[in-house]
Amino acid sequence: MDTNWQERLEALLETVSRPARYVGGEVNQADKEWKPGMTRFCFAFPDTYEVAMSHLGMKVIYDAVNRAEGLVCERVMMPWTDMLEGMKREGIPLFSLETRTPLSAFDAVGFTLQYEMSYTNVLAMLDAGGIAVESRDRGRDAPVVIAGGPCAFNPEPLADFVDAFLMGDGETATLEMLRVIGDGRRRGLDREDILLALAQIEGVYVPRFYTPEYHGDGRLAAFSPVRAGVPARVRKRIEPDLDLAAYPETIPLPFTEAVHDRIVLEIMRGCTRGCRFCQAGMLYRPVRERSPEKLFALAEKLVASTGYEEMSLSSLSTGDYSRLPALIRGLDERFSSRRVALSLPSLRVDGELKQTLEMSSQVKKSGLTLAPEAGTQRLRDVINKGVTEEDVLRSVTEAFESGWSGVKLYFMIGLPTETDEDLLGIAELAKKVVGRYYALPREKRPRGLKVVVSASTFVPKPFTPFQWAPQDGLPEIKRKQALLRQALNIRGVEFNWHEPELSVLEACFARGDRRLGRALLAAWRSGCVLDGWSEQFDNRKWLDAFEAAGLTPAFYAQRERPEDEQLPWDFADIGVTRAYLRLEFRRALEGQTTPDCRDGCEGCGLRRFEGICPE
Amino acid sequence: MKMLTVFEKTGAARFIGHLDLQRAMQRALRRSGLPVRYSQGFNPHLLLSFASPLSVGTEGLREIMEVPLSDDVAEASFLARLNVALPQGLKASLARALPDDAPAAMARLHAARYAIRPMASADTLLAAAPAFLAQETIPFLRKTKSGERMDDLRPLILALQAEDGALRATLSCHERGTAKPEQLVAALAAFSGLPAPRCRVTREGLLDRDMRPLEGL
Repeated sequence: MDTNWQERLEALLETVSRPARYVGGEVNQADKEWKPGMTRFCFAFPDTYEVAMSHLGMKVIYDAVNRAEGLVCERVMMPWTDMLEGMKREGIPLFSLETRTPLSAFDAVGFTLQYEMSYTNVLAMLDAGGIAVESRDRGRDAPVVIAGGPCAFNPEPLADFVDAFLMGDGETATLEMLRVIGDGRRRGLDREDILLALAQIEGVYVPRFYTPEYHGDGRLAAFSPVRAGVPARVRKRIEPDLDLAAYPETIPLPFTEAVHDRIVLEIMRGCTRGCRFCQAGMLYRPVRERSPEKLFALAEKLVASTGYEEMSLSSLSTGDYSRLPALIRGLDERFSSRRVALSLPSLRVDGELKQTLEMSSQVKKSGLTLAPEAGTQRLRDVINKGVTEEDVLRSVTEAFESGWSGVKLYFMIGLPTETDEDLLGIAELAKKVVGRYYALPREKRPRGLKVVVSASTFVPKPFTPFQWAPQDGLPEIKRKQALLRQALNIRGVEFNWHEPELSVLEACFARGDRRLGRALLAAWRSGCVLDGWSEQFDNRKWLDAFEAAGLTPAFYAQRERPEDEQLPWDFADIGVTRAYLRLEFRRALEGQTTPDCRDGCEGCGLRRFEGICPE
Repeated sequence: MKMLTVFEKTGAARFIGHLDLQRAMQRALRRSGLPVRYSQGFNPHLLLSFASPLSVGTEGLREIMEVPLSDDVAEASFLARLNVALPQGLKASLARALPDDAPAAMARLHAARYAIRPMASADTLLAAAPAFLAQETIPFLRKTKSGERMDDLRPLILALQAEDGALRATLSCHERGTAKPEQLVAALAAFSGLPAPRCRVTREGLLDRDMRPLEGL
């Protein structure tokens, strides 16, 4: 093997943008010594260092693996294009930050799949790391390539590239997988046998042991195991008690500012609000809270080990945390004198919480951000977003009265049953928000009104009631964006929208099947990487890649899927049943809302998992 | 009191930008438990000032920062506690306790000494140094926030000699005139009819008006 690449790397680092991303050695980096008999794991984040170092999941797994006896975890991220090209030119393999070990020398490499448009980065990183891109081309010595994260719940588009997927919570399951992999490799087992052993772990899906069949028109006809001893359905992993689940007490401090550069406390997992477009809300049920006592103890350790000056709370719906006032009070008491600011998301502030916030000295209120998601009550009922116009207007009025002049409003366009009236409702709501500002006496108004309206394009996701729904076609998305641009030409209002071509591709891969692997491969080969960064995105290349694979984006994105159609992800059991999702889809089309299940079980299916759902 | 602190920024840490260095130092000081001071106001921040920012990729051997403290701390104790908290590549080598009203290092800074190692054409460039320096004026295009203008590099080069395959340069470094190593190399390369090579640059020390180390006082 070429061992002189380290010197060439030093020279390359002098020429690339932000080299601090590639050198490791940050404060709190885990420098666990490699000893014979250990299992070596590289956690791979398929986006840039700045994004990766903002990601809580990576820090949780990194810490959990490094605490475990006999396991080592290092990190690698997607290099920016200048570095990637330079490495290729100089014959430098993609390496881990901690020990500059090429990816090919690990026992296992594990990707977190946070976003569909990072899939080609997975391919690029494998290739740069000296690992065969396609699973079937990997020999006995090649690392086992695993993946988890929200997108692993529909793993099929990556079935050709990833050896084994984990569905669900990774704190315990990742360790189990690594032990099986390390043990198998030390015993000299065949790759196939290691994968078969992995498939026995609850939550693990090994695509090569399953095969799809298709109808003549391209729809999935059947999907079943082809090997004895693998489960027909893969049930997601759940950490039942967050107080017992692994959580880092120290985290590596990024050398160059991360997108989110602060201590993050995950206070709760799961959400029971039941918004019908929201995948996380279905995937991460049941709701589990971490106790304030546990969080205080974690925060103490994290503040001492990092020196961070800011802390934030993470969950899908922080306002639903049952002991929020006590938590905020406790954190404020402990940390305000140490100058650690607590930054909170936009919350409905009343009662005890209002008092708490008024008394807290170091609580940093960020500007007001609200997500009504749709412009009319009718459409908000369709998507089961329990926010009324009055809620929005009350919140913005309070914000203006307490001195904020900027508010952000998030919407989606292209939701099922949407009409132009719903779209214009977004502009109406924005106008009313502006109206509330001018309704305040001039001397009480904060200066510089700025209402930012962001409209993303609706992407139907697996495991949501809208998994059967079509996405609008590109011309329709563009027409709607133009309509909104015109309607939102209001003084004090700024309108942002997303690149519609990217949303269409997202929709393809979100609900894609195994055949999309060919399109991914073609897109990567033609140079599509880091597509989440708009300066890198080239839609033409993607369309060519689909064509080369004999596929059409419209088949995946714009087709309403009939009730009886087998879906590529049906084999995964997330707890919430398909029947419940279908019921919710029907209710959506009828404009019928479903209450939060904390007030009574709605029968989503999670109760089938014994002892998981609180009574 | 405030603590004048000499530190090195070497190895991988040379890639940390100035803002990121500030953050890294602030967090290290917070971890150290030293009695640091904070600014007043709505968003108080830890008080800390550097004598001079260092470009990304440039090593520094005797960089200087000043840390205001709310209680007296012995110099040796300050040094030990800070070093425990610092990451690889950042290491403090000297601490000097000063009264709060001692003139700021930033204000006393006059020049900086560099070792510049060209990665190509080193021999030609080093050989050209004496003739280059003998010029009366060295016009160069200075890029500023508002655009570009012609400037004279010659008075900003306080010393220049070739030694051990490196250019050793003392360059002016104060608000009335600052020259950077890259500007020197570009001008020297142009003088020699060569394209400007990439260089490995080390800032070896910061000097006051009398050309004495800034930390010497």
